[in-house]
Amino acid sequence: MSNKSIIIVLIGLFIASFSIKNEYIFIVPKNWPKPHYDFTKNILSENKIELGRKLFYDPILSRDNKISCASCHSQFTAFTHVDHALSHGIEDKIGTRNSPALMNLAWHKSFMWDGAINHLDMQALAPMSNPLEMDNKIGRVVASLQQTILYPKLYQIAFGDSIITGEHTLKAISQFMLTLISANSKYDSVMRKQIEFTVQEKNGFELFQKHCGSCHKQPLFTNLEFENDGLPVEKTLNDYGRMNITKDAKDSLLFKVPTLRNIEFSYPYMHDGRFKKLSEVMNHYASGIQQSKTLSKQLQKKIVLTSNEKADIIAFLLTLSDKEFLFNPKYGFRN
Amino acid sequence: MKLKILFALFVAIFCNGYLHAQSTDKILFHPTFGKSALHLDDSCYTKDSIYFSQLKLYISGVEFLNKDSIVWKEANSYHLLDASDEKSLYILVNSPSDLKFTKIKFNLGIDSITNVSGAMGGDLDPTKGMYWTWQSGYINLKLEGKSKLCKTRNNEFQFHLGGYQNADNALQTIILNVSENKNIDILIDIEKMLAAIDLSEQNQIMSPGKEAVLLSEKFSKIFSIQKQ
Ligand code: HEC
Ligand code: HEC
Repeated sequence: MSNKSIIIVLIGLFIASFSIKNEYIFIVPKNWPKPHYDFTKNILSENKIELGRKLFYDPILSRDNKISCASCHSQFTAFTHVDHALSHGIEDKIGTRNSPALMNLAWHKSFMWDGAINHLDMQALAPMSNPLEMDNKIGRVVASLQQTILYPKLYQIAFGDSIITGEHTLKAISQFMLTLISANSKYDSVMRKQIEFTVQEKNGFELFQKHCGSCHKQPLFTNLEFENDGLPVEKTLNDYGRMNITKDAKDSLLFKVPTLRNIEFSYPYMHDGRFKKLSEVMNHYASGIQQSKTLSKQLQKKIVLTSNEKADIIAFLLTLSDKEFLFNPKYGFRN
Repeated sequence: MKLKILFALFVAIFCNGYLHAQSTDKILFHPTFGKSALHLDDSCYTKDSIYFSQLKLYISGVEFLNKDSIVWKEANSYHLLDASDEKSLYILVNSPSDLKFTKIKFNLGIDSITNVSGAMGGDLDPTKGMYWTWQSGYINLKLEGKSKLCKTRNNEFQFHLGGYQNADNALQTIILNVSENKNIDILIDIEKMLAAIDLSEQNQIMSPGKEAVLLSEKFSKIFSIQKQ
């Protein structure tokens, strides 16, 4: 081979390796439904995901440079706020809701406990602007990113443009969040027939399907709808959920059904973090349901559970923990 | 050899452009208060000593009609007009120069599909300050200022109008008759708007809902073609 052809081959390989590295293939886990997110409007690439990951972990998004998305959504707790019932933001201000765990967001149709946000791309605007959270403005965020040495380079690599825009910033953050897929728990291995449940877990799974499965629907463990699961109103917050958005009395006390994947790690529970333990959640469903006009019909008839049965359901819920997700370095902070 | 091909290509592209000559007419928007141009901040308008600090609005879906059929449609038609930025107040039109049309049609605001389609760039970029953050959706129009009539903090009034869902959809369609002309001059007369509302009663609308829809309808009526 002549020198010239070696160079051509090398250049070809270089280009090929670049495009292979940059391509990101979104894999839908087997037997899962089609994602809701429209990937054609925001084509995934390794470089954009990497930029999004950096932004997610960077406090530069907040007014005082101290709060990042990860402050309230940390990986080891399935991307929720560890130990805080209500989220904890800038200058130690306390928010009005518990931060939800983040995973499998590509399947979600709306975001927030009340569905206030209609698209994953627009989600990051809410905490950035909330005076109790990051207290900033997207315009200022973009200006401060532009002034760094690093970010214009990363935007150039990711989007082919070193001028930073709101659009590119939001799309990059979405890309990172879209890759947060949890589909490798013990439950998933059982479904793939690789291992088996214990007798207790199996019993819990059956009870779960009977009493809980219509709202916490497999395989996402949420039907992605708004439901009233019979929690009495917390008098200090007076949060009526979905009705805040639709102003329709039919939506009073309806909240977005949360996933139960990794529930072992995402305590405290519910939109206001009122329960610390799964046993408290079980007691709520068995004996704490508050009747009201909007109570979802599945819960209108009392669920009767013995204490053994409650323990069995909890044993099943623990099979939804996905260590690979919680400790995957791909999702973590890196410098 | 290569140069020749390049040259031929260049000529071809050039001729092509020339043959399909497009007129670059302008649609110009003129915010006014009655007969005078609208100024932000410094000027006070006599009636009830009114000051304006901000007027921004989205114009989208620009079309030309001949009688009732569409003869030209602007592609990707989203424009943020900002009364404080001269450059934002006109739209360059690249319709064919021999086009006959009698009406211009456009929307005041952003359509519902665009509202649910995620992050966008250009005039739709959320850094433009025309997107609600706590609840998704574009703000179609912002009008802010002060008036003695408003018994509010610093006598301020603020109208942020928007909303795209069902009954809360605040999008307005505006159709105006035009005489054939190179430029189309459109007046936006804020005085007419203030004549249609009572500032002492209504001075803060910051979220989607019935009020925002009603006020948007009133806003849609203050557009008119400037008589030559
Ligand atoms: C101060 C704490 C805090 C910070 C900082 C924060 N969040 Fe959140 N996040 C929350 C809370 C609380 C909610 C639920 C709010 C509600 O329902 O009203 C939430 C909800 C979400 C949701 C919706 C999840 C669902 O299932 O509906 C996503 C996605 C999300 N946050 C992403 C982010 C991103 C991206 C950032 C950084 C730009 C961020 N968050 C910063 C506390 C925070
Ligand atoms: C009618 C629908 C419905 C049914 C049936 C239902 N849930 Fe829920 N579940 C919800 C909703 C809605 C929430 C969130 C409520 C809130 O925060 O206000 C929730 C929250 C939870 C949470 C807290 C999740 C978190 O991240 O905070 C757990 C755990 C839970 N449910 C378990 C169960 C179990 C176990 C059953 C069966 C015994 C069950 N649910 C039956 C709708 C339902």
